[in-house]
Amino acid sequence: MIGSAVAVVHTASIIAFSWFLAHSIAGLIAGESLERVALTILATAGSILARAGTQALLDGLAVRGAAVVKSQLRRRVLAGLDRGGSALLGTTSSARIATLIGQGLDALDGYVGRYLPQLILTAVATPLVVLALLTADLATGIAVILTLPLIPLFMILIGLATQAMQRRQWEALGSLSQGFLEVVRGLSTLMIFGRQHRQIPRIEAVTEQYRQRTMRVLRLSFLSGFALELAASLSVAVVAVSVGVRLIDGDIAFALGLFVLVLVPEAYLPLRQVGAQYHAAAEGIAAADDVLALLEKAEDVPAAGAESTSAAPLARADDAPALDLRDLTVRRGDRVVVDRLSASWQAGQVVAITGPSGTGKTSLLLAILGLHEAEGAVLMSGEPLEPAQRAARIAWSPQSAELTEGTLDEAVALGVASVDRAAVEKALQWARVQDLPRDTVLGLAGDGLSGGQAQRLALARAVYRARERDCRIVILDEPTSALDSETEAGVLASVRELADEGRLVLVVSHRRSVVAAADVHLDLQLVAAEVRA
Amino acid sequence: MTMTDHESARAARERRRPVLRAAMPARASLLAALALGVLAAGSAVALLATSSWLIARAAEQPPILFLGFAIVGVRAFALGRAVFRYLERTVAHDGAFRSLASLRVAIFRRLLPLAPDGVRGVRRGDLLTTLVRDVDTLQDLPLRVAQPLVSGGIVAGLAVVGVAWLSPVAAAVLALGLVATIAAALGILRLLSRAADARVAPLRARLADAVLEYVTRWEVLNAFGAAEERRASILDLDGALRRAQTRQSAAAGSVAALFTLGAGATALATLVSVEPALSTGALSGPQFALLVLVPLAVLEVAAALPLAMTAWWRVRASADRIVAAVPEHVPSEIPRPPAAPAPPPLTATPLTLRAVTARWPGQSAPAMAPLDLELGPGDRVVVEGPSGAGKSTLAHVLVRFLDHEGDYLLGGIDVRELDPDEVRRHVVLCEQAPHLFDTSIRQNLLFARDTATDAELLDVLDRVGLGEWCRERGGLDAAVGERGRLVSGGEAQRIALARALLSSAAVLVVDEPTANVDPARAESLLLELVSAIGDDRAVVIISHTPVPDRLVTQRIRVTATG
Repeated sequence: MIGSAVAVVHTASIIAFSWFLAHSIAGLIAGESLERVALTILATAGSILARAGTQALLDGLAVRGAAVVKSQLRRRVLAGLDRGGSALLGTTSSARIATLIGQGLDALDGYVGRYLPQLILTAVATPLVVLALLTADLATGIAVILTLPLIPLFMILIGLATQAMQRRQWEALGSLSQGFLEVVRGLSTLMIFGRQHRQIPRIEAVTEQYRQRTMRVLRLSFLSGFALELAASLSVAVVAVSVGVRLIDGDIAFALGLFVLVLVPEAYLPLRQVGAQYHAAAEGIAAADDVLALLEKAEDVPAAGAESTSAAPLARADDAPALDLRDLTVRRGDRVVVDRLSASWQAGQVVAITGPSGTGKTSLLLAILGLHEAEGAVLMSGEPLEPAQRAARIAWSPQSAELTEGTLDEAVALGVASVDRAAVEKALQWARVQDLPRDTVLGLAGDGLSGGQAQRLALARAVYRARERDCRIVILDEPTSALDSETEAGVLASVRELADEGRLVLVVSHRRSVVAAADVHLDLQLVAAEVRA
Repeated sequence: MTMTDHESARAARERRRPVLRAAMPARASLLAALALGVLAAGSAVALLATSSWLIARAAEQPPILFLGFAIVGVRAFALGRAVFRYLERTVAHDGAFRSLASLRVAIFRRLLPLAPDGVRGVRRGDLLTTLVRDVDTLQDLPLRVAQPLVSGGIVAGLAVVGVAWLSPVAAAVLALGLVATIAAALGILRLLSRAADARVAPLRARLADAVLEYVTRWEVLNAFGAAEERRASILDLDGALRRAQTRQSAAAGSVAALFTLGAGATALATLVSVEPALSTGALSGPQFALLVLVPLAVLEVAAALPLAMTAWWRVRASADRIVAAVPEHVPSEIPRPPAAPAPPPLTATPLTLRAVTARWPGQSAPAMAPLDLELGPGDRVVVEGPSGAGKSTLAHVLVRFLDHEGDYLLGGIDVRELDPDEVRRHVVLCEQAPHLFDTSIRQNLLFARDTATDAELLDVLDRVGLGEWCRERGGLDAAVGERGRLVSGGEAQRIALARALLSSAAVLVVDEPTANVDPARAESLLLELVSAIGDDRAVVIISHTPVPDRLVTQRIRVTATG
């Protein structure tokens, strides 16, 4: 590993620096001329350059390593996501996943970027420095060997003593630190009831409590820092005094004594820095745990059909039903939401699907699309299709619009490389999108649009796809929930137009007007009752 | 820098000042922490100075008695370094936390006259969360900026003075070494943060957006066959970010190295430049050893200074964001309490609007066309109109979050003559996204009327259709979770209505109660909510979910201007 090789050179340069600097000083004090010690001074300068250079290299490598590790983890999570699909998304909130592979991974900087490299440096540097001290002055070496283990020992002892207390405090701290945030977020609600002025003493009280509890934790955490610092600086004092006394007796050379004095702190420094990085590292370890847990979960989930990029050629058997469901069972978590549903519909029909919340309307649609696991068979135009093959033949508009970022054209022509502007225009007209300038650019999560606008854009997107890819099946999930009745009537007329083009249109809705406009009505609640009977 | 740049920088400093001042701890604790910091860093320098003097003097083999003082000094400074450091950290943190309370209150006081609609940018994103985080960042001002800058600066200065007492030449070399190293480190850090702002931060934001879209739109992207292409672009962004970060790594690694280099170079330069004094006998051997080695300790102390500067840049950015979000001057669109309020009206009805229109702060045009309304007891008015036509603006005018043009009378009194708080005692708003506090159901209701008994609370929960729901959760003590996490959108609306019913207000304004509710349940929820309000109150309902005629006495239409 490059890192440990650089660490060896770095440590060697520290030892060399101490050695040459001590000899330069001792030589000059002994009365030698600058010319006589010029070589030693040059060697000191060289070792300074080597020390600084390797230090820069070590830190640079650490930053680089962290960037690489984060990128690898990100790629693995994305791959896991595609394997795990919606089953994984169903168990972990998507915002959480996005945070985890976005800025969540930055928490690893402390661990991968600082703690681990420091650990490696410590493992390399400490034995080398101790060895140098032992060779130079046995007594100092032994003193260091005896005191060094005190540092981790202190840390462990203090850690054990404070751990229980820390854990108890931590929970309380979490809610106390939220106190101010709560007041600020809820300020308009407080104002409505005239309670805003009473919050000032409350803010003071909560913050004071927060201070007291945090300080209780900090006083203890600082103790471990204190132990580290004390062990290191007292050792320097012990070595300095013992070397001094032996110098008086003439038991040790002056240059050697000076060398030992300069080098001793370097024996403790790496270990002290490990201690200092420990807290940042603990956060990083927690983040890594979350990411690894997500990966594990992704690998546990059986592969769901997700690859659906190329449309299989349509083998149309015109007399076969456009969509034929046979004994379709859909589960959400452990619950069966659709139980052995069999139904078939012809092209040209508008089918309304209804049922109270929780009866699995959306899950059924996702199962038909092949994006949600299901048992049973789905036939399109008489052809039994695997889940992965289905989405390519369906145009779909989801319940909550789910628009993508970009220009209006890009959002409507999603998944189509070359945008046909005229076709986009037709699709927009079809969905009654007249109130949106053509040059609108959509932000993340369809920012800047009203609910109704977003809904109609999602419809335009589905219709663009239906016509562009000649999808025989169009699925619309709650297409008019955010529309007023006038616009709704227009959209329903458009839906009929779509059916008349020879497509099957499935519409999930709770609105009576939608049911009235459909040819067939499927009430999932009734179906469930029949199956149970 | 041009003159105007200077002026705008000075104006920014002026605006920032009151916020920064509020973040500084009380003088006594600040001085104590600074003194302890100076003692801790000073002990570190003194430890190296005395121990190197001790060894060099011992090499001259004097009687051990001559070294007694230095031996005591070495031990004392070693102990002092650790003890003072511990005390400094404790005192400084305690002071910073104490000032946090006054800082939060100061920001809250600035927030009060503005809230909610005068807080700039409050209508987009999670501004308030950012604001609170920025307030907490200001804690770093005493802790990570002032403390290390001042105590590090004092110790470095004292070290230069102390060295000058022995050798002015060595002092000059030390001062030069300090200035050059710190300046170089600052230069690198500045370059780094600029590069981060210019390259890394935008890439990071774009990657975060792309990942968020990929995860939240996973099903749509797959159904439309666009997943592959998005994944490829995420991997591209990831690669670009990694390359940008790697490119920076060399610079990032060089700051610590710079201080290693500076320390070594200063020691060596001192060695060469004071050697003549040693050879002429002007300096003794021990003095020479001390002068050469002390720069190593001083530069170690000084390494904290550039880090303090980066902390300062971070604090300054937070302070600027706070000042921008919570301006010192209340915009004219936000109502202010009158100097001498009129006596409160006996009844809130009739509530009268005549040609009322309103404008959001920072907007040039009114958000809605002029509107008339006459509201008596028992009236139920439905406000209709396309989205964006100013329906919510009307709600905010009615509860005096926003000031208006035209006449708004409450029981015959112009509301401008009343304290906005007084108006809200008569007109209460059920918000589109009501805030639920992370506590029990009881506490979430009580602040609407703190004298209410449990029986009254349960009764009002029954009225809004939450009686069963509350009992299932184990009664009024059940928690609602952070930001109402344990409560659905419909339940939150019912709780908000329960609060409004608990208040004594005669007029209820209900703003889009079905905005965050499953569409299948919207209609029935709206019916239940409207039916739960008794006939004794006047109601203004803003809704895009249709309200049946039998529940309505009047419909008005709001249209956008222009």
